[in-house]
Amino acid sequence: MRHKTLAGAGLLAIAALALSACAPQAPEAPSGGASEAGNDTLTIATTTDVVNYNPLIGNSRSDYWVTNLMYPHLLSIGDDGAKEAQLATEWGYVDDTTGYYEIRDDMTWSDGEPLTAEDVAYTMNAVKQDQPSGTFYGQMTNFSSATAVSDTRVEIELTQPDSSIVEEIGFWGNVVPQHVFEPAGSVAEFANDGSGGWVSAGPYLLTNVQVGQSYTMERVENYPLVEGGTPIAAKVVYRVYPDVNTEILALQSGEVDVIANSLPPAQVQQLQNTDGIEVAEVTGLGYAHMTYNMQNPDLAKVEVRQALAHAADYEAIRSVVLQGQADSTGSSPLMPVLSKYYDDSITEYAFDPDQSRQLMEDAGYTADADGMYPVSFRLIYSLQDPVTSQWAQLVKDGAAQAGIRIELQGSERNTYLSQTNDGDYDIYAGNFAIMDDPVTNFSLSYLPGGAINYTYNDDAELNALIAEASQTFDEAEKISLMQEAAKIVHEQVYDNVMYTQNLYVAYSSEWDGFISKPSELLSIVNPVSVASAFRVAE
Amino acid sequence: MSIALFVLRRLGRGAVTILFAVTVTFLLLRLLPGDPALAVASTNMTEDARAALLTQYGLDQPLPVQYVLYLGQLLQGNLGTSFTQSVPVVDVLLQRLPWTLLLTISALVLTIVIGIPLGVLAASHKNRFLDRLVQVLGVTGQSLFVPSVGILLLLVFGLTFRWFPIGGAYSEGVYGMEWYGSVLQHLVLPTVSLALIQLGSFALTMRATLIDALGDDYVTLAKANGIPPRRILWKHALRNAMLPAITLIGLQLGFVVGGAVLTETVFAYPGIGRGIYEAVTQLDFPVLQGAFLLLALTVVIANMLTDIAYGFLDPRVKTAS
Amino acid sequence: MTAPLTTTELTTPLVEPAGQRGDRASRATWRAFRRQPLGIASLAILTILVLVSVLAPILSAYPASYGTDVLRPPSATHWFGTDALGRDVFAEVIWGTQQSVLVAVAASAIAIMIGTLVAVAGAYVPRLDTFVSVVVDLTLSLPVLPLMILVAALAGPSTWTIILVVAAFSWPEVTRLVRSQALAVVKLPYIDAARLMTRNHIWIVGRHIIPAVTPVIVVSVVVTASRAVLSAAGLAFLGLGDPTTWSWGRILFEAQQSGAMVSAWWLTLFPSLAILALVLSATLLSIGYNDARNPRNHER
Repeated sequence: MRHKTLAGAGLLAIAALALSACAPQAPEAPSGGASEAGNDTLTIATTTDVVNYNPLIGNSRSDYWVTNLMYPHLLSIGDDGAKEAQLATEWGYVDDTTGYYEIRDDMTWSDGEPLTAEDVAYTMNAVKQDQPSGTFYGQMTNFSSATAVSDTRVEIELTQPDSSIVEEIGFWGNVVPQHVFEPAGSVAEFANDGSGGWVSAGPYLLTNVQVGQSYTMERVENYPLVEGGTPIAAKVVYRVYPDVNTEILALQSGEVDVIANSLPPAQVQQLQNTDGIEVAEVTGLGYAHMTYNMQNPDLAKVEVRQALAHAADYEAIRSVVLQGQADSTGSSPLMPVLSKYYDDSITEYAFDPDQSRQLMEDAGYTADADGMYPVSFRLIYSLQDPVTSQWAQLVKDGAAQAGIRIELQGSERNTYLSQTNDGDYDIYAGNFAIMDDPVTNFSLSYLPGGAINYTYNDDAELNALIAEASQTFDEAEKISLMQEAAKIVHEQVYDNVMYTQNLYVAYSSEWDGFISKPSELLSIVNPVSVASAFRVAE
Repeated sequence: MSIALFVLRRLGRGAVTILFAVTVTFLLLRLLPGDPALAVASTNMTEDARAALLTQYGLDQPLPVQYVLYLGQLLQGNLGTSFTQSVPVVDVLLQRLPWTLLLTISALVLTIVIGIPLGVLAASHKNRFLDRLVQVLGVTGQSLFVPSVGILLLLVFGLTFRWFPIGGAYSEGVYGMEWYGSVLQHLVLPTVSLALIQLGSFALTMRATLIDALGDDYVTLAKANGIPPRRILWKHALRNAMLPAITLIGLQLGFVVGGAVLTETVFAYPGIGRGIYEAVTQLDFPVLQGAFLLLALTVVIANMLTDIAYGFLDPRVKTAS
Repeated sequence: MTAPLTTTELTTPLVEPAGQRGDRASRATWRAFRRQPLGIASLAILTILVLVSVLAPILSAYPASYGTDVLRPPSATHWFGTDALGRDVFAEVIWGTQQSVLVAVAASAIAIMIGTLVAVAGAYVPRLDTFVSVVVDLTLSLPVLPLMILVAALAGPSTWTIILVVAAFSWPEVTRLVRSQALAVVKLPYIDAARLMTRNHIWIVGRHIIPAVTPVIVVSVVVTASRAVLSAAGLAFLGLGDPTTWSWGRILFEAQQSGAMVSAWWLTLFPSLAILALVLSATLLSIGYNDARNPRNHER
């Protein structure tokens, strides 16, 4: 009998030893001396997993937030929409078809290699050549090649004059280490999944990935972009919570310090009134809009589009669905946040069902016995977008008051995207997260064949204005051209811009030092902000 | 000989069930409205990748050919490529499987540990107050909606009392033996949530089988011989009731695994259930199919094990064949 | 997600004897049932819920598309509070009852029809039976919710999808329940006698077998319906429900989407209570009915 118990105990002991091998081992103590910066860990919550570590390929928010902490951008953006220096200290044009960037000379990669203009030039050329699908490549239409003329200067050649491209590439594109990416071949296929470790220019380096759970990043000691030269928090951990309710609970209980994704509008006030939680406002850089498909013969008539524009209660949408956290843009694609471009003489379409009816009559439609006109429009939206899903209903009700029938068709994201691509809709409802440069945005949105032209228009006057602006290097002139273009868009209702949403992010009162930048992609989790965050002294 | 035959038969049944699950999945995707290509190739893929996948699955071929190709892919362990993550589905799921297993097994253990005494209690107090109480509680437990229970537990024990952490499988930055403690701590609330639902049905079945067992002839004989009722209950009736209970565990597994989908979502537990939830929002069909097949496989294997265990324990089975 | 109902409780094949004192068996059942407080209470609750679903237009206006009081707790004007768009939760729950009951009834009706036909056919024609039992066992051993999710995701969100999906995965359990009773009945002497009398199998099945299994069908109606409610709510909670109609699952889904689940307790509580009420009363009713029809419980 005793043998059995002994044997059993022995087995248990062996099992325990074996099991302990399963538990993660503590990492080796980091080499290098302690810095004045602290030993704290900043824990950030996000709702989606990181699926892709290559910043050159189009990706989701979590991908962006994590890779941004490793691969720098040349330019950042300020609260007024103007581009600011980051890796690049100076930038501009040598002549109409040549641009340049002067970059800092004090940045290094975490494996010791210096970050030079060679890396910048390599990145741009590789993107142009390998065509990875994503916003970076989308900016490269007029780009021809890049050359590092010195360790700190990059010059780019253009195929035609383009006054926006230097800033757009600078803002949207990351710089990746040539010595890591080049040996891997095409950047469009390089997964960069960290076998052998990642290489980062700071402020943090990804060291540990638990898929679906957490992403641990450790401080890169030399990061000149933050005050003091070294990031304060020793570690940053991104934790994945698929459910925003659980996220909020985790913030309240202290398990996470920051929630990176913007709060649902209904939660903002509630969290503002919660002890121990701070709510920061992040300037919105995008807008929500409806576009009317002019391939539909009814919608090809400007009166009909105008009628629809006057048949939605924008105030109600902003106050109820968005809890007052959105601003009108005056129904103009030039948003107030882009202060230099904003034209306050363009005013929002008034909610006036009677005027809508008058316009319909002018267009030659007669209402039937129920007061409804013989038209019906199919409005598509993504079911995964809770805010749009909510105001679509209000739009439908408003149009009904004006006698116009709207049929709502909410679809899951893939179907919605393919419907959008195929032009399979009458009214498109959606939003853009970042519309930072008017010329680029107008080209993509209102030129025939533009990548995001959802209205299928072809207005000669508008085309001419946009083309001219893209080749105008004088800012004042460019602004007045764009304002004229915006007036045309507004009058012809090529786009019905409904609001620009201000975003709110929540963080624990135990932390401070965040630097907020516009848009959800940057907000308070942009690299400089994360590196500057510190735990408030007890 | 008969034991070997018994085991072989069970294995055979298991294999047939898996084949059935595979066939159902295959047919669903090909016969439902919508583009079947959507099931394997995402619209985001490059043309080449998409074309390659379509030939691999033979989507332009007649149905039987497609079926064979599909089976072939599965036997090679290829469950397809995730749309959102562009990695093989197998990788995505196998990382998550251990957590789901941990959660479901813990829930089942808890169910058994509490369910058996409850069933015994109810059976021995048949038709009196305690029995009615257990019956009502049991039925109520079966009728609960999982997400509501989860949120409630989170609110009360996670936020208000701060006894347990909110979500996740373990805490960051904890190593060695402490890590196990962290895993346990994170396991409690999801397990309780899942077990509460299963407990009702299990306790009720225990009760019913016990009542039946207590009505058997040998029990009457034992009573007539003067053996104390408690001994009859625990030593004889319970033992005989355990056997159907084991089979019930196997049956319950399918439902527990389904309940895990909702539980893992609410508790941010990184198992397959949560993988399903994320895949649903993205409409990542390869992951959805793969998850279903993997879960089916798990359930079938578990059922086979419990059936085989039943076969070993029940002397009647050995002599019957 | 839910657990299978206890087999022995519900499928003990009972052949209803002729009632005592010349009464019909069903009368005796009703009398026994009347004596059970739980059974009566659950019948009452169930009736109330069905009435609510039918009378919804009278009880409350259809929920507006939005309101100005967002996320207010229950008050005199809004008995169940308001949701993230300022809509009245009471109205949502009332109209949601309609959808939930509709889905439950429709899904279980379809499941019952298919399940019963399959079970009776299998019992009556022995060769079919092996095939039937294999298919039923196979389907029952699979994790059903992930499969439902897959189908619903493929087919797109709509009321009919939910109904068909739930029905498609509920009929095997009905078959299992009905089959054991049908098998017992088919072996009875009077069926053999009937077979001698006529070759009209339809008549035999319709006149003798179906009535004999009717009690089990009644039980499985309630069981399947309650299971359907939970499945439909689960699917809606995951975002696979019909976004154009109000259902209890949708209230929970929208609460979850707007991040209000933890702070606005009324959004979670009332639909959850409604689900609990429907499912619990249905299940208790079936147990009560089952107990009542057991001749051992009939009055002497």
